[in-house]
Amino acid sequence: MTGPKSTTTGREPARYEPPAPHTIAPTPNALLDSFSYDDDIVRKFLIATFVWGLVGMLVGLVVAVQLANPAMNVAPFLTFGRLRPLHTNAVIFAFAGNAFFTGAYYSTQRLLKTRMFSDGLSRFHFWGWQAIIVSAAITLPLGFTQAKEYAELEWPIDIAIAVVWVAFAVNFFGTIARRRERHLYVALWFYIASIVTVAILHIFNNLSIPAGPFKSYSIYAGVQDAFMQWWYGHNAVAFFLTTPFLGMMYYFLPKAAERPVFSYKLSILHFWTIVFMYIWAGPHHLHYTALPEWASTLGMLFSVMLWMPSWGGMVNGLLTLRGAWHKVVEEPVLKFFVVAITAYGMATFEGPMLSIKSVNALAHYTDWIIAHVHTGALGWNGFLTFGMIYWLLPRLFQAPLYSKKLAEAHFWVATFGILLYVVAIYSAGVTQGLMWRAFDETGRLAYPDFVETVMKLMPMYWMRAAGGTLYIVGMLLFGYNILMTWRRRPASYEVPVIQAPRLTKEYIGGNGHVTPAPAGVWARFVAMDWHRAWERLPVTFTVLTAVAVIVASLFEILPTFLIRSNVPTIASVKPYTPLELAGRDVYIAEGCFNCHSQMIRPFRHETERYGEYSKPGEFVYDHPFLWGSRRIGPDLAREGGRYPNLWHVRHMEDPRAITQKSIMPAYPHLLKDPLDFAGIQRRVDVMAMLGVPYGDAVNRAPEMARAQADSLAKAVEGEGGPKGLQDKQIIALVAYLQRLGRDIKAPQVARSTP
Amino acid sequence: MKSLTDVVSGAGLSVYAEVALVIFLIAFLGIVVSMFVPGRRRMYEHLRRLPIDGDDAALPLYRESEDSSLRSE
Repeated sequence: MTGPKSTTTGREPARYEPPAPHTIAPTPNALLDSFSYDDDIVRKFLIATFVWGLVGMLVGLVVAVQLANPAMNVAPFLTFGRLRPLHTNAVIFAFAGNAFFTGAYYSTQRLLKTRMFSDGLSRFHFWGWQAIIVSAAITLPLGFTQAKEYAELEWPIDIAIAVVWVAFAVNFFGTIARRRERHLYVALWFYIASIVTVAILHIFNNLSIPAGPFKSYSIYAGVQDAFMQWWYGHNAVAFFLTTPFLGMMYYFLPKAAERPVFSYKLSILHFWTIVFMYIWAGPHHLHYTALPEWASTLGMLFSVMLWMPSWGGMVNGLLTLRGAWHKVVEEPVLKFFVVAITAYGMATFEGPMLSIKSVNALAHYTDWIIAHVHTGALGWNGFLTFGMIYWLLPRLFQAPLYSKKLAEAHFWVATFGILLYVVAIYSAGVTQGLMWRAFDETGRLAYPDFVETVMKLMPMYWMRAAGGTLYIVGMLLFGYNILMTWRRRPASYEVPVIQAPRLTKEYIGGNGHVTPAPAGVWARFVAMDWHRAWERLPVTFTVLTAVAVIVASLFEILPTFLIRSNVPTIASVKPYTPLELAGRDVYIAEGCFNCHSQMIRPFRHETERYGEYSKPGEFVYDHPFLWGSRRIGPDLAREGGRYPNLWHVRHMEDPRAITQKSIMPAYPHLLKDPLDFAGIQRRVDVMAMLGVPYGDAVNRAPEMARAQADSLAKAVEGEGGPKGLQDKQIIALVAYLQRLGRDIKAPQVARSTP
Repeated sequence: MKSLTDVVSGAGLSVYAEVALVIFLIAFLGIVVSMFVPGRRRMYEHLRRLPIDGDDAALPLYRESEDSSLRSE
């Protein structure tokens, strides 16, 4: 193995001009550094990507089958409500996360012509991240959750994530500081934006006060918490699933196609437009909710505008293959890339469309959103990862790919799987959305029974499970190919020694002349060198990117916190009683919010079905908010007083004894598991610390809870229910469910609880 | 005692949202304009080629029986 240049010349396209003079050794007497790349860390991340990808997708298949057949909820810690967050966290942070690190560690070293800043930090990043994933896989089934989507992990794990992320950032920026290539390629811009923004999002959305080793309450409440969560949730999609993968696209696609990106200027425009626009778009997840309308309109506008840069990026990717389309026929890597970029294009068309309020009115709370997400996840993130890894395998394991035919088979099986999945779940979403809003000729709801709209989806749920199975079959072929290629690796990996000149302080001009960098900002500006100057200082670039993100966030979010008219208070809304608070925590631990919303939109078909629409002032004591994002079951915002207490006890014990076709998991253990009354005090105290006016309860929460539990248990008994429930978890849950939405109801319904 | 919320609510800050939007737009347009400043062609061309002017070894990517065309020369 020789220096960097010798091996590639034979594969350059014919009309290639010699590289600009400053890319090769600029002066004859320049010092050449010798170094090697750390590919060992890339191999580690690659294996982790596959292993966690398979685990996350298998959990996805389990939750898909659980929706089609509730008998598959086999144990209290394996119910849909607990496994669904495990699926989403595993595929986002474990699969896509490790894929990003694989791509970033490989490409960053090569684009900067230097080894990673610190091998120790690289290893810390790797093992730290895997430990976080394992802790997530343990705590989520146990019911430890913050109840915020994609931010479910409890506070000790959140701190660990922050620490590992900072280690990654230090390693990454240290590498940039030691680089031997003056200019930062656009892929690195995307990585920088991802690293900085994810840190900001993670920290601010997870601010909470601990109420135990694995329990915390968000410092935000209600509307504000919802706003923070979807600012986070949307930008997690942007800066965890989009920008890192765009960076990888801009590196690995030209590599695989063996030609440069179609337009470099377009890639710059793509980058800045996304950084400037994405951060505003979050409120489109909250259309027609209690969020102020101006925020929701702002979110919609920026989402629609985002269509443009997204498609600019897609076009840039696809046109990179100009003149190389014949290679797509031969090369499975390019096939994966083409479908990935096409899926990016489809998802980024669908996203802006779904953010339009009138479309969202139909799509929100339905499976349409799930279909949209999976176009992006299976198509864009999955296929880009597969293409990248097939390209990396022979290079990292220094052996030919075990089987190109199997890679082709993987491509076709997985493509067919995506189609089955997305078509089924897209139609499920539209079907259910239309059924919810249908009225008959007398002006009443055409499908008043919620379960009717669920039954309609069963064939599509099975079709989804079949599509997902195909995708996983593809994963198994992928894994076999990785394994067999790995087994053919050499006894010890060859580590090529790379030579590159050190960076000099002078600027080597386009004509090859060495000129010192002009002194002073104005002189550089006049010399048209200022853009390059700012790239040479990624600190400035990073700060600018961060400022764009932070300023946009502040201007969008702060008014909801600081301008009173955005969240009008309602005098009759009171804090939950200590027992209700404990019941709310049972609701959170069981993950009920994964299937039940608590947010009635101001449409007639919703108010007819669920009652008066939700007001912002109703949620001022909700730490965290529990509005939900998908109605697999009916909305519960006005559940209080709708059914007798005993109904709830029986329904939790066996939902199908009450509603024959219900797909809800059964929770018989709630009738047996004791409620921790003593622990309620600490939770009430934390709530009081967050500003919830608990008054007397800060001194005697357990006593108050016991008193309410006793009287509620008597009421259940009086209705003919089982005895001895006063110290069981079910009593707290029933107390909470019976409270929901009661504060602004007219008081003519007698409260069954004090 | 007035809280921060009262102060901010009464301050009539809504105009600043529009100011911020205009500043944002100007910053963005500045970036777009700077992209088209003449004399950058060489640098862009250099950057464009960075990934493929790389240091990849010429490894056999596929087993010979499956390698139909990639290494035709």
